[in-house]
Amino acid sequence: MQFFIWLQDTPFAHWVASDPSLLAYPTILTLHTVGMAIVVGTCVVMDLRLLGIAGDVPLSALGRAPRLVWTGFFINAATGLALFTTDAEHKAVQTVFFVKLSLIFLALVVYGRLRTLVFRTASPQLSPISGEVRALAAVSLLLWTGATVAGRLMAYLL
Amino acid sequence: MTAPALDPLVEFIRSTRLSEVFRNEVAWLWPLCESLHFLGLSLLIGTAGFFDLRLLGFMQGVPLRSAKRFVPWAMVGFAVNLLTGLIFFISQPQQYATNLAMWLKVLFLLVAGINAMLFETSFSDRLMALEPDADMPLSAKVVAAVSLISWFAVLYFGRMLPYLDPNPQSGV
Repeated sequence: MQFFIWLQDTPFAHWVASDPSLLAYPTILTLHTVGMAIVVGTCVVMDLRLLGIAGDVPLSALGRAPRLVWTGFFINAATGLALFTTDAEHKAVQTVFFVKLSLIFLALVVYGRLRTLVFRTASPQLSPISGEVRALAAVSLLLWTGATVAGRLMAYLL
Repeated sequence: MTAPALDPLVEFIRSTRLSEVFRNEVAWLWPLCESLHFLGLSLLIGTAGFFDLRLLGFMQGVPLRSAKRFVPWAMVGFAVNLLTGLIFFISQPQQYATNLAMWLKVLFLLVAGINAMLFETSFSDRLMALEPDADMPLSAKVVAAVSLISWFAVLYFGRMLPYLDPNPQSGV
């Protein structure tokens, strides 16, 4: 706990939390939303395709999706850490925050599994798409939905 | 952007029964609509973005017609966000009516909408007829870039709403 109290009192945390510049808290928060749109948006497109939506889009079209997912993830890990410092003492014990982190972790595990199942072959031509892949795609949609809702509820649940 | 001109409208909306119900009688409505608004924006940006990236020339070999099958899902995301956005506005019109960020958000919504209509009426047929491996013409790339930039601008001004308010009394 001492560590989080110290972290929250660093000049960086004070700058993020209280600097009147729009580049401090407002821009970091907005970038966190941009990163979310990139990560969740890309995963949702992949999941919808694996569930049979836009079935004539070749799976190879999603070959470069990981670049987008990891770019968005990196933006959100960085901005998320910065936002965390401003309220570290509280966030470190906030249940819904750990729910959010767990859901993101599980969603990324599912994402990794889907990439392995579908895209590790030289030319992914999965038709029909297996039941396991469909189930994982549905679980992925649920996990990202849960993570998004949990993130929003961080402003409401203590 | 002057506040007084819009005061009667704001007062009228706030005085309606619907506004009162949204504001005072459904405690979980605001967080629920925020959650849906964030889910809608991810769906919209993901699916519209996929089509825009194809128009920009990425994913060569994917027929444009196939990529366009994701666009109805962008419209679902947009519909969710229009509905939840209207609920925000009707609940607390004073937070939005005089907020510069809100008007910039609406401006970019119009740019995105007009751009999409222009695409449908003037470019779509010709581009759909291209071979999947053909290079995208400059017109397609411009439409796609305008679309991507305006949707991210909508997101930017939406998220910056509480911070770009020149009239902080509105209390976002």
